[in-house]
Amino acid sequence: MSNNTRILTVDDSPSMRALLNHALTSQGFDVSQAEDGIAALDWLALNEVDVVITDINMPRLDGFGLIERLREGSRHRDRPILVLTTESSEEKKARAREAGATGWIVKPFDPQKLVAAVRRVAH
Amino acid sequence: MFESRIFPAADVARAPERITVMQGQALVSAEPQVELTTVLGSCVALCLFDPDARVGGMNHFLLAEPPAGMPTSAVDEHYGTYLMELLVNQMLGKGARKMRLKAHLYGGANVNRNMMKIGTANAEFARGFLQREGIDLVRSDLGGTAARRVDFRPASGQVRCRTVEDRLAPPVQPIARPAMSTGDVELF
Repeated sequence: MSNNTRILTVDDSPSMRALLNHALTSQGFDVSQAEDGIAALDWLALNEVDVVITDINMPRLDGFGLIERLREGSRHRDRPILVLTTESSEEKKARAREAGATGWIVKPFDPQKLVAAVRRVAH
Repeated sequence: MFESRIFPAADVARAPERITVMQGQALVSAEPQVELTTVLGSCVALCLFDPDARVGGMNHFLLAEPPAGMPTSAVDEHYGTYLMELLVNQMLGKGARKMRLKAHLYGGANVNRNMMKIGTANAEFARGFLQREGIDLVRSDLGGTAARRVDFRPASGQVRCRTVEDRLAPPVQPIARPAMSTGDVELF
């Protein structure tokens, strides 16, 4: 089942995107990458995805803004969106939840826990 | 831009406020009187400076060995990338722009001959990170067998690196990842 799951990872760090790509493709997921919220919106306008994994601190459009923009329309209203971040404050977590995030994962991520979370939220 | 030596600071009326950057820490400041300082053995310190925003920061890391089953010559890139991102994010939070960042790298000595070459592995990780992120490395003093002391003034980018007695360097055992932040997942 996981072989068909399409994931978009959104992070401004090429190093982090590479780690995510390795962790997810090695488990059979179909992974695409975007470098910030604007690039993610551009990509999502043309492509289908099952799960979005996004960082918070990014230039142009951050993770909060990305989630809010995706939840505005009907197309991504129920799309699972996992936040993956170095932020550990309860305030930021609450803001992500209010924006419509599906889950919150603190870096450094454990590949097994990340894969388990993706499998759990993917429909 | 970075300057390689710290001169008596004519523009700083007060005595410098020295702050020690401990292993696993990342500190950022734009205060002219602040001087970040650390002593490195096998550890590596990354100093970042944005010459336009006049803000700088330093981290100090010794990467944990990778999980069982991974090559012992490698380091834990998940934890390393996390520590680097902490510093970069703090810099951006103080008004720096990633494209303007200038980097210095220090440390990575193989102080203890009985250990794996953890200093070399840490230095290679740091160089690779900067290359992948497109951050300009303007100066490095890495490797060898001697401990180093680094003094860095984040608001001006001035830095001084000198060798010191090995006994001044912190222990060289790699630390484990912090128990608090190992990818815990919370679904809403």
